[in-house]
Amino acid sequence: MTRWIRPGSLLLLAVLLGGCVNATTDQQVFNTPEAGIGEASVVILGRRHASDYETEPDFISCVGQHISRRDDAIEIIDEITFMNALYPWFEPRTAPLRPQDIERLLSEPPVAARLAELKTEYMIWIDGRTERTDSAGSMSCGVGPGGAGCFGFGTWSSESIYEATIWDFKRRAEVGRISTSASGQSYMPAVVVPIPIIAPVQGTACDSIGDQLLQFLSAQY
Amino acid sequence: MSGSMTSAPERWLAVLLLGLLLSACGTREVVVQNAEFPEPLMRPLPLTLGVWYDEAFANHEFFDEAAGRSDSSWLVKTGEAQVALWDTLLGGMFKRVVHMDGPPGPQQMNPVADAVLIPEVEELQYAIPAHTNVKVYEIWLRYHFRLVTLNGETLAEWSMPAYGKTPTAFLQSDEAAVRLAAVVALRDAGAHFATSFLQVPAVRDWLAGLPRRQEGPRS
Repeated sequence: MTRWIRPGSLLLLAVLLGGCVNATTDQQVFNTPEAGIGEASVVILGRRHASDYETEPDFISCVGQHISRRDDAIEIIDEITFMNALYPWFEPRTAPLRPQDIERLLSEPPVAARLAELKTEYMIWIDGRTERTDSAGSMSCGVGPGGAGCFGFGTWSSESIYEATIWDFKRRAEVGRISTSASGQSYMPAVVVPIPIIAPVQGTACDSIGDQLLQFLSAQY
Repeated sequence: MSGSMTSAPERWLAVLLLGLLLSACGTREVVVQNAEFPEPLMRPLPLTLGVWYDEAFANHEFFDEAAGRSDSSWLVKTGEAQVALWDTLLGGMFKRVVHMDGPPGPQQMNPVADAVLIPEVEELQYAIPAHTNVKVYEIWLRYHFRLVTLNGETLAEWSMPAYGKTPTAFLQSDEAAVRLAAVVALRDAGAHFATSFLQVPAVRDWLAGLPRRQEGPRS
């Protein structure tokens, strides 16, 4: 019985002690669709132009799932499905940087036809990253004939900064900008077994940006 | 005798530790294969393009020898993925694509085509976070293209760079990340080629001359 209680209580402890996260969100939107987006679809894409970082594909997928889970009437096109369907026009080298560039894309008849087929009304570009800002502490692990174990303490802080830009395909205009930043401290004490107490920094940023996008896209929020 | 002194789990543990210690010294091999590349969404040019992949291209690999004892050597094989990419890309860009039986030349019997494209990977470079302290894996490629007649005469010749990067991810090995960066670089190569082919001055000149050549025999 105690054999089961120990890992269980460690897990519970880790959950209870989950690192704290602070998040701030700013938004500026225009022409919000009052009755939601109806049967149109939305695509969420990551900006990948910076030389020293990449907007994580996992984060893009997280935001899409956050919106779909809360309002299943909103059709979110998966990032890679959209990029494949419109290859080579949405690769980092060729992707439109301004809403006015949509006109150039639509001058290619196959591209215009595919976009019409996908019923894409809004395109959301997300740019940003989550990074570890500093870390401290030390931990050593050893393996011997009697078993293995770790001892020490480590702590690190992470910061997420993301900005979502909403483009209206019909108006060929930018209709909103949402930015979010989140930071948190994670800990890992280890007495034989390391207990990670992870601050869900990226997850909080995903929820924050997802909630704001829901308010824009959904009739229910 | 010593076998009786050590239990099986300890032996496995020792082998595992030895493996971990030696892993930094071996060659890390990345085979870019089974990558699926999408067909380009564009109106195909009304031409029959021949394509010739030489041995070095179809089996392209890049080897970087370790600089020190603590480093690893890297072997990145892109040949299979190169052929998959260019077959799919050219198939979508041109009305018809035919593979040549041999390098274009006066003595070589080959299927009829308006021109033959010969791609070559001139250079490949890579960077991993351990080299740069930046949390992205990167691959640079430089291609050299020759567009030739069936007789092997050069119509156009140009170079083209391609770049791919992928961020670090939890529990992702260096090999998996380099492979992913290579796939991104290949997609970029396809995108660059598809959107810039008609802007290459020599290609434009060749295309401008084509209708006159086609109409020539009639007049």
